[in-house]
Amino acid sequence: MKVGLLATLSVRNLLRHRRRNAMLVAAIVVAVAGVTFMNSFIRGFQQDLRDSAVANLTGHIKVHAPGYRDDPSIERSFEVATSWQPDIDAQALQGWAARVRVPAVIMSERETRGVQLVGIDPAQEGISFLGDVEFEGEQLSGVGDKRVFLGAALRDQLDTRVGRRLVLITQGSDGRNREAGFRIAGVYDAEGTALEKAYVFTGREALQNLLDTHAVTEVSIRLLQDPAGPSIQRRLLSYFTGLEVLGWRELEPQVAAMFVFADTAIFIWFSIMMGALVFGLVNSLITAVMERVREFGMLRAVGMRPGAVIVQVVMESTVLMAAGVAIGLGIGWLLCASLADGLDLSQWASGVEMVGMRSLVVPRLYGEDMLLVAVLSLVLGVVASLYPAWRAVKINPLEAMRR
Amino acid sequence: MPAAAPVARRRGGDLLIKTAFRNVGRNRRRTWLTAGGIGFAVFLITASIALQDGSYVGQRQSATGLLTGHVQVVHPMYPEDAKFEQVVGDVGNRLHVLRETPGVRAASARVQSYALVSVGERSFAAQVLGMDIDRERDIVRFFDTVQEGRVPEGADETLIGSALARNLGAGVGDELVLLGSGKQGGIAALALTVSGIYQTGIADIDRALLIAPLRTVQSGFGLGDEAHALVVVGSDPLASAALGERLVTALGPDLRVRTWQEIMPEVEQGIELDRVSGDFMYGIVMILVGFSVVNTFIMVMFERTREFGMLLALGLKPWSIIGMVQLEAFALWVLGTLLGWLLAAPLIGYLMVVGISFGEAMEQLAEQMYMPSSIHAAVTWRALLTAPLIMLIATQIAAFLPSLRLRRMRPVLALRQET
Repeated sequence: MKVGLLATLSVRNLLRHRRRNAMLVAAIVVAVAGVTFMNSFIRGFQQDLRDSAVANLTGHIKVHAPGYRDDPSIERSFEVATSWQPDIDAQALQGWAARVRVPAVIMSERETRGVQLVGIDPAQEGISFLGDVEFEGEQLSGVGDKRVFLGAALRDQLDTRVGRRLVLITQGSDGRNREAGFRIAGVYDAEGTALEKAYVFTGREALQNLLDTHAVTEVSIRLLQDPAGPSIQRRLLSYFTGLEVLGWRELEPQVAAMFVFADTAIFIWFSIMMGALVFGLVNSLITAVMERVREFGMLRAVGMRPGAVIVQVVMESTVLMAAGVAIGLGIGWLLCASLADGLDLSQWASGVEMVGMRSLVVPRLYGEDMLLVAVLSLVLGVVASLYPAWRAVKINPLEAMRR
Repeated sequence: MPAAAPVARRRGGDLLIKTAFRNVGRNRRRTWLTAGGIGFAVFLITASIALQDGSYVGQRQSATGLLTGHVQVVHPMYPEDAKFEQVVGDVGNRLHVLRETPGVRAASARVQSYALVSVGERSFAAQVLGMDIDRERDIVRFFDTVQEGRVPEGADETLIGSALARNLGAGVGDELVLLGSGKQGGIAALALTVSGIYQTGIADIDRALLIAPLRTVQSGFGLGDEAHALVVVGSDPLASAALGERLVTALGPDLRVRTWQEIMPEVEQGIELDRVSGDFMYGIVMILVGFSVVNTFIMVMFERTREFGMLLALGLKPWSIIGMVQLEAFALWVLGTLLGWLLAAPLIGYLMVVGISFGEAMEQLAEQMYMPSSIHAAVTWRALLTAPLIMLIATQIAAFLPSLRLRRMRPVLALRQET
């Protein structure tokens, strides 16, 4: 029997029970749209998590002296030639920054706190969170700027303001303490307070002069996309021999763990939705078969092969599923598009920060995810129709016709 | 006969119930598939909520138990300014009052300041927390995080975080010099010996918190019978608001009473966020199952048109038949709910007794979010009843909508319909 005829029969059968099948398609639509929508949120969250981690002075790849991560002092530093440029295809590279980062004590007239003092080249910091924070006062003018800027939360803790002086104490390259006064050039307002309390920035050369060194403690490299493999790391390692060259996954293992977990969450979510759907699907298909016992019996009696019966039932299920998937993906896409500006979670801002997210989650819909949902749903449609199809094959033509 | 009518009606009711249950038993496969759908939703949602609620209990206990306690009594301006001078006075008497207040399991005073901590040439800034260690070691979990050495016993001993120890290059037995500013801007200096090193897994704490005996810090920083916080632990973290009110009554209005929810809002917010996203998922699952129940009843209506026509022809009121269909839906719901609970029970039991442990990679992450290293399910009313109650309403609506056409059904036409 021709497949075309079977298809015509399937569609006609489906149209015979419009209300029931419309209900089933509606269920599939809800499931698929729900999966698509949630999927895009988990992806948005996942991206956000990684981007925050990468922007948080980490970069995609970072070079350290061995042991610096355990004992972050200027003694564990390395020199970078002034002419150095990372040997990375310009199309893959967003930017890089060389920094001196040392722990320091910061004192205002009133309060004392522990911070990370970071010497930067302001021109290079478009790659970190400093590229998109709000600023009050002035930015640093260059690597030689001897002023500092600090986070708003730290400013409040120290009870100080732009233009005032602060004293910073840190350890120089000879192991002795350096104490120096710095004027506050500006205050930055990052999204969470954790960053604001942790980092105080000054010019890189100014800090190097204070510490009596020409070295830096880290080179951070930001790419335009997550690197596909370790090849860039290997290339960097051949230049920075004897140093540690690590990707963000190794630098931020907790974030990496969350990142992987999000992939799992997508599958769990999908299985649950489809699990709930499958009961209704099987139910309807079996009913559709049992209603047509006489019809199937007759078809068999006039010579329809068992294989064709199976194909027909499977085809009915697939047509339903395909219709549901198409509409569901469309609605899911529309939902995401309507939330393209992001979903505001600032109601739970500190809870969100604790998990490492930003309070605005932008759903992200990927073609490959949509394709996966579509393929898996169609597979499920076929699987769910196997039992009903088997029931249809078992129908004995003689008995069926007698009913 | 006036008495006969109620009897007949009652008989009629019994008959409808009997018929309804027989109908449920008539198409077994469909009954089981529909009840299976309801059961799946009940199973999934009951088990998930039990695990969620259990994890919240663990999270709250872990967050409050580490160091914060349930309620803290502080100077009215201390939460905003955190100035060293903003202390609570008359500590001895006030602690006595607190300990006498019903619901208070323990109360203890703490002082805190910032100081420059040096070992040899190396210096770092740290928060110095003076605690009544003998008393608090049984109350807060913090002292269980000591990894090396021991909890301070002598007056000049201190406990430091692992990251601070690493930054300072200090180990157990080393001497630290603390320099800070005391009351009225005076210089405070202390020399302490490291008796132990702790690791909570929370980076901000491990890097910057130093614990020393209360009296030592008080006298070193020029405080008398004064403290920055009186920390109170009750029996249940969730009862903190009520406990706080009792403390206000006991101590008077001069001081500020803060519950742990105010001190660390991120914990409750994180819980809230988790709950909302869970509810979204449960909502969709229940909608899906609701569709499948609606479908079942559309089929029931269609198949039994002749039967309903006959019942109408025999004189049954449409609403009686609708009532019978609702009863069928109810029976399906009972079956589904029992099925769901039956499936969920062993899983929840397992999750209560054994729990879920985080892997190595997730453990630190869990600590960061105040999650205990393993979470256990908890049977709560929310877990047990959320899905069944919503499914009850959903199945009743799902049965009711298709059966509305009974009102317009013409018995003669219905009887003539072929099946």
